[in-house]
Amino acid sequence: MPAVVLRGVSKRFYFYEHRTSSLREWFIRRVLRRPIHVRRAAFTLHDVDLTVGRGEAVALLGRNGSGKSTVLRLIAGIYQTSSGTVRTEGRITAVIELGAGFHPELTGAENIALYAAVLGLTRRELAERYDEIVEFAAIPDLPDTPLKYYSSGMEARLAFSVAVCLQPDILLLDEVLAVGDQAFRERCLQRLRQYHARGGTLVLVSHELEQLRELCTRAVWLDQGRIRMDGPIDMVLERYREQE
Amino acid sequence: MIGALGRMRGVWRYRELLHSLVVRNLKVKYQRSLLGFVWTLVNPLFTVAVLGVVFSHVVRIPLPHYWAFLLSGYFVWNFMLQTLNTGTYIFAEHSRLTRSVAFPSEILVFGAAGSRLIEFAVEVGLVLGVLAIFHHHVVPESYLVLPVLLLIQLLLVIGLALPIATLSVFYYDVYHALPIALTTLFYLSPVFYPAGMVPAAARDLYFLNPIAGLLTLYHDVLYWGRMPSPELLGGMLLAAVTIYLAGYALFRRYAAIFPEIV
Repeated sequence: MPAVVLRGVSKRFYFYEHRTSSLREWFIRRVLRRPIHVRRAAFTLHDVDLTVGRGEAVALLGRNGSGKSTVLRLIAGIYQTSSGTVRTEGRITAVIELGAGFHPELTGAENIALYAAVLGLTRRELAERYDEIVEFAAIPDLPDTPLKYYSSGMEARLAFSVAVCLQPDILLLDEVLAVGDQAFRERCLQRLRQYHARGGTLVLVSHELEQLRELCTRAVWLDQGRIRMDGPIDMVLERYREQE
Repeated sequence: MIGALGRMRGVWRYRELLHSLVVRNLKVKYQRSLLGFVWTLVNPLFTVAVLGVVFSHVVRIPLPHYWAFLLSGYFVWNFMLQTLNTGTYIFAEHSRLTRSVAFPSEILVFGAAGSRLIEFAVEVGLVLGVLAIFHHHVVPESYLVLPVLLLIQLLLVIGLALPIATLSVFYYDVYHALPIALTTLFYLSPVFYPAGMVPAAARDLYFLNPIAGLLTLYHDVLYWGRMPSPELLGGMLLAAVTIYLAGYALFRRYAAIFPEIV
């Protein structure tokens, strides 16, 4: 079975316009039977079919608002589909926002434990990987310093280190590869290549096309919530560059 | 019902997260504070002192050791008040988390109730000791029922906090309305007077407020040092379970779309 299967997936979001600004108006609208809330639907994804094989590395391309992050959130199970089905096999780690579970008052070590718990790890699993995480982040005095004294780059590094050291079966990354300095980025890429070589499945969203080319073999181009093109990355990138 | 149980199994898988959240809540609250837990005690004790003076010297409530009566219920009220208030902002506070990780978000509410319960356990431990020494002069047998009261209290607070938190995601009004509702409830619950003073004709209506029943249980066990009537204990247990399941069901209906809204 493939790692990820999306079949006929659509995602509709609702926006609520609150028409009533005062109680008086509310009463008037009630009496006249005018609408009180206006619910507008906006499609983000239209009938998307996507299969990601185990051990594949797939890049998601597209402009802002084309639905890339929505695809990742649907795969991760954060959003429910409006129609269609999503099936996944194996443990998923999604890094949509770096350091989402972090708390500024807690130390690096405490934040690692919290973030790992959010991602569903048991204490024993964390203990096995803790040293690796700290080593990979390579931040001096990391364990005992409260997070608020970190620079934003260091905070991102810590979050990224936790995510890549967890060794999930499926790793989803949303524009988070642009963190840290050049040296750290190089190590991140190295790490992801290693993860991929060991058979990990990878779905990447990024606007740094060269980086995508380095890591992925296949690309999916999303345009206004539909798949415009799906194929070998060189081919898709070439067309994408022509069009955009 | 079966759906709720399935969902609870999902929560059990995340017990590590629950533990981490409880530890985080307590650490964040008490670090960088010299007096730490003392502050948690000072606030309710101050209120108890004021209520004690007013209602034993100005408006006289005829109870022996009135201070002991206040102590036996006020911390429970304070627990409910603070935990329910947390419900109004807990999902907004963790919006980044909800939007970027798939996890059962009720854990945030459980975590908030859990860390408050630990504080409450310390508080009530102190109250137990003080009442045994200065009020009862023995350790009353009724103290043995306390674990059941804690269970009722926990089910009740989660059953009420989950719908409050759910509504707060959709309407900010809850954030403004709840303090008013709780202030009203303070007077409509036996915090500074015993429920026995409520006119018999109004008592059925009065006990529709589940917090009234909970406080009466605590008064029986801690202040009077007597076993609560099986009707009250059983009734409250049943009410707590019902409120818990109903609150959870309401939360479950809307939880899936939280990540799109918060």
